[in-house]
Amino acid sequence: MAQTFWDDVSEGQEITLTEPTSSQRLVIWAAASGDFYQIHYDDNFAKGNNLPDIIVHGALKGMLVGRLLDEFVGDKGWIENWGVSYRGMDKAREDMTIWGKVTKKYQEGGKNLVDLDVGVRQVNGTETTPGRATVSLPKK
Amino acid sequence: MPDELPDLTPEMKAAIGKPGASVTYEVTTLGIRTFGRAVGYKNPIYFDAAASKAAGHKDLLAPPGYFGMPVFNPNATTGPRADFESPFKRNLNGGTEVSPMEQVYAGDVLEAVTTLVDLKLDRGRLGQMLIRTSETVYTRKADGKVVAKTRGTGLSY
Repeated sequence: MAQTFWDDVSEGQEITLTEPTSSQRLVIWAAASGDFYQIHYDDNFAKGNNLPDIIVHGALKGMLVGRLLDEFVGDKGWIENWGVSYRGMDKAREDMTIWGKVTKKYQEGGKNLVDLDVGVRQVNGTETTPGRATVSLPKK
Repeated sequence: MPDELPDLTPEMKAAIGKPGASVTYEVTTLGIRTFGRAVGYKNPIYFDAAASKAAGHKDLLAPPGYFGMPVFNPNATTGPRADFESPFKRNLNGGTEVSPMEQVYAGDVLEAVTTLVDLKLDRGRLGQMLIRTSETVYTRKADGKVVAKTRGTGLSY
């Protein structure tokens, strides 16, 4: 995997992933997380709970943001922390864009740090999962 | 709709700040790979122990945010947190924060202790809600190191 260096990061820089949300993927996530609530994989159950379709697990969205950050920091970087709020439901079977935008680049406590705004956007541009992260990166 | 609560009950207030029972999480190769597959990782260090070791790790590495699965007990009669009766029976996941502190590997056994750090009543489009903020500390049994802290927000309505 390509290594990102702190020196090369600039404020305003954006990173993204576009991810499908098939029912198969949600079932794999259910097995990985132990969250077997039927609104995430049973169409009839979801519709019986006044939902338009099965919906993506919030925690999966949070961990997709984690993957975006992990791929950004590479093997030699470290995610100090990340957090997201689940503000809206994402219907399954639609692509989601997982995004991050560098808001601050600084050095503190001997670390080369980068703050980012992060989130998950639906195809129509609606933001459902806003959050923030701090990562540390190696210097050249 | 549940009954309106004018204030937190004495049981609810007493639960704030009280650590829950320790829950054992097992981190397995199968669990790591299933998590990696669901989240769409491509990096072989999360799937192939040899690739992990070649990258300097002691065993198959867990992706950030993966702390294994709690050991399932088919005879458990209550959930891990039953400190108070709540009139709100529907739950939503409000948010997640993760602070990784140490790498986590296949074979690790973690003890997770969750503390309710805040509890408040609020009102939203779903009516009155109980908002719980919990912090969980994951400690590796083998060396006593805290590997991560997480914070979760739960909304009951």
